[in-house]
Amino acid sequence: MESGPGVIAACYGAGALLSLLLARWSGRLALVVSHLAAAAGAAAGLALSLGLLLGEPGRTLIRPLPNFFPFAKLSLLIDGLSAYFLLVVSVVAVAAAIYGPAYLRAHSPDAGSTRQAAQGFALNVFLGCMAFLCCAGDALTFLFCWEGMTLASYVLVVSDDRDGENARAGLLYMVMAHGGTALLLVAFLALTERAGAFDFAALRAAAAGLDGPTRTTLFFLALGGFATKAGVVPLHVWLPRAHPAAPSHVSALMSGVMLKVAIYGLLRFTFDLLAPVAGPLPFSWGWTVLFVGTTSAVLGVLYALQQHDLKRLLAFHSVENIGIILIGVGLAMILWRQSTGGALATVALTAALLHTVNHAAFKGLLFLGAGSVLSRTHLRNIEELGGLARRMPWTAGLFLLGAVAISALPPLNGFVSEWLTFQALLGGATRFHGPAGLVIVFSAAMLALTGGLAAACFAKAFGVTFLGRPRTSQAEHATEAPPSMIAGMLWLGALCVALGVAPGYAMRLLDAPTAALLHGPGASAVVTARGPLVLSTALTPSGTNGTAISMTMVAALLIALSAIALLLRRGVRRAPQRVAPTWTCGMTPTARFDYTATAFAKPLRLVFAALYHPRREVTRETAGTPYVVGRIHYAGEIVDLAETHIYHRVEREISALSQLIRARSTGRIYGYIGFVLAALFVALLLLGVAY
Amino acid sequence: MSPLSPDAVHTVIDDLGALLLFTMILIVAAGQIYRAIYSVAAQSLLISIAGAVLATATGNPDLWVIAGITLAVKAILLPWVLHRVVQRMNVRREVEPVIPIAATLALAVAIVVVSFQLSASLGPVRQAITGNALPVGIALTLTGVLVMATRKTALTQMVGLFASENGIFFTAMAVTQGMPLIIEIGVILDVILAALVMTIMVLRVRSTVDADIADLDRLRG
Repeated sequence: MESGPGVIAACYGAGALLSLLLARWSGRLALVVSHLAAAAGAAAGLALSLGLLLGEPGRTLIRPLPNFFPFAKLSLLIDGLSAYFLLVVSVVAVAAAIYGPAYLRAHSPDAGSTRQAAQGFALNVFLGCMAFLCCAGDALTFLFCWEGMTLASYVLVVSDDRDGENARAGLLYMVMAHGGTALLLVAFLALTERAGAFDFAALRAAAAGLDGPTRTTLFFLALGGFATKAGVVPLHVWLPRAHPAAPSHVSALMSGVMLKVAIYGLLRFTFDLLAPVAGPLPFSWGWTVLFVGTTSAVLGVLYALQQHDLKRLLAFHSVENIGIILIGVGLAMILWRQSTGGALATVALTAALLHTVNHAAFKGLLFLGAGSVLSRTHLRNIEELGGLARRMPWTAGLFLLGAVAISALPPLNGFVSEWLTFQALLGGATRFHGPAGLVIVFSAAMLALTGGLAAACFAKAFGVTFLGRPRTSQAEHATEAPPSMIAGMLWLGALCVALGVAPGYAMRLLDAPTAALLHGPGASAVVTARGPLVLSTALTPSGTNGTAISMTMVAALLIALSAIALLLRRGVRRAPQRVAPTWTCGMTPTARFDYTATAFAKPLRLVFAALYHPRREVTRETAGTPYVVGRIHYAGEIVDLAETHIYHRVEREISALSQLIRARSTGRIYGYIGFVLAALFVALLLLGVAY
Repeated sequence: MSPLSPDAVHTVIDDLGALLLFTMILIVAAGQIYRAIYSVAAQSLLISIAGAVLATATGNPDLWVIAGITLAVKAILLPWVLHRVVQRMNVRREVEPVIPIAATLALAVAIVVVSFQLSASLGPVRQAITGNALPVGIALTLTGVLVMATRKTALTQMVGLFASENGIFFTAMAVTQGMPLIIEIGVILDVILAALVMTIMVLRVRSTVDADIADLDRLRG
């Protein structure tokens, strides 16, 4: 336990260094060794966090770090919340590290050893920074790890294929991430300035003396910074570009874990550091978070529906799921320390934290599944795939598992956390009368819509990719992914099932973080009051009108029902079977007969046309007479409202401004230096007086 | 117990400051690139001597390290690099000023006067520092920038950058008995990188399009 952080740092550090050293001899060796070291580091993180959460909940592990700077004491501080997010990081990291080498070898077999060294190095730095970001005990360590995480993931994003698309995605990511970091810097430095120190305890003391408006300003700065990283609408534009561009196991880490690290930062900054000493959080905080969460959830899934690039579709779903997590967080902020809130804030936070690990598990699984399709076919457009279920049965099965989980269908884990979020929303609605209650009910309705749309989206994604007939020869000749890749997916798939069937046992993991943040009862005391197999919440303040569900029973029921259905079918099957192709009016069926993704999403494209502004272009080539159509070309696209209405406008303004500056600039370097000198001189003359 | 009395340190630093200003005037007045390079090397040597003096006086080991690095990098390595670049380029060895050298000298004089004036107005700050180091440091920094602003070719601008950097070092050493080691090393690295980038730029631009950095203003859109 004591040596845990040291072991984690040693593993990731060794992985990063060995990757650089071994690449001189063999790039493949460097790749394997660095990923093995990353797996070891992740396993150490898993052991440390589980040990803390289950063995000694409520304990805070504090380790001083060597003094790199004369002006700040650095330290690691691992409390319940840190340990929980370290767990989330490590869970996906294990899978990604197992999956990585085989994927990289299959996906880019002609990669040079420099690229392999860089990928192994950056992966270890990325994982190490995320792990230690969650364990940071002072603002400086936090910000350093934050920046390291951004830079390492940037390297991974641009490392995949060297085409212009990736470079542009990387640039956009870099700009957005640093915009967010700038906001965070201001928020943190405003506190450290007051505290005169960097450690969290001093910041907490300094924040206690803040007045209301300053506190709220700092909160919104931090929210902006963390929301940029988390990909909240309308700050999400980088996410659907950068996440698909990275190698798939890194996409899994970026979507499954890096966004969660931003949630960690938001929770730590809001509940732990910035919250007033007593009384509820300011009114505007929770409602804003609830609003942006709801917006992100709905818009994320709506845009995901219209994507035909498998990884891009998954990236948009990350926007949606971050929205769901933020709904829980926002509700916890609203209800915390309210006289009427009771234990409902704990339920809301429990839902958010549980969805954090759930999303990490199933989004990681889905990205790894998409990665094995990509590495076998080198295609990302699902319209060009099809029929992969027969060719890649393991991948298809596991992808289906992830799809069921993300669509919030029982008995898998996505259902559990969305159910809890619903309970918290409905309970919250009964606490507030008038418009506030209505807003919460509206948010619940939007969450329900999100779940339905997600199911539609994954029916499309799974159906078009894995069912039907292959539409291209690459899809036709695809083979199953190697065992190590399957193993990585199996680990996450098992987690999805375990968290779905027996979530009551996972509640014990949530005790320490909820108690540490809310200073109230732990999660299991509230949610699993009726035993570990039953989840229950008390909706009314008196606690009488409760709802309860037993996921284990639901799973057993489902299995029993399907078994009965299967038996019945077998029982009635009397007539001899004959296998024949689908009847297609006498024509030979071809892959072109299958339902396409564009067609599948068309009804929703029409329903939400106001949002999508769909544009379509159909050109017909006729042969001689207008009755013989030789070829029809169809092109369609939808727009992202945030992009057209905010970003393009800003882009136009900036380029107009830079045109203005260009017209005035001389281009002479000594002239520019002269300006600097004159400005310095004037500043010294004007301000150079002793205070 | 330091081997030097505070008064002696003051005198030595003041004398070194005067020498530094003298080398600065040499740099401004230099008509040939070589002369400017030798002057800035001499200036860096003086800075490292000042560092060594302060190190003996205060017993701060960091200052020894800084003095050593200054000597190695700024008095020997970088002038040598500049010298080689001038040899490689083999053209235009005279400084090309934007305004006449005499006018630059007049501006430099004005800067020195203003610097002393300025540090006189910073009364309470001056109490804590060594002699006239602050005005000399400010004057060196600003005059270095002046050299960069009044020269057309990249090489002479680099000389100005080094001189300006020397001024910052001198101010830091004399005023606060040296900044934290990590910051000083960071500054040195900055200078090395700047020199590296500019050298590469100069040589590349010359070898590919046969133009000097000063001609880049033709690229303006």
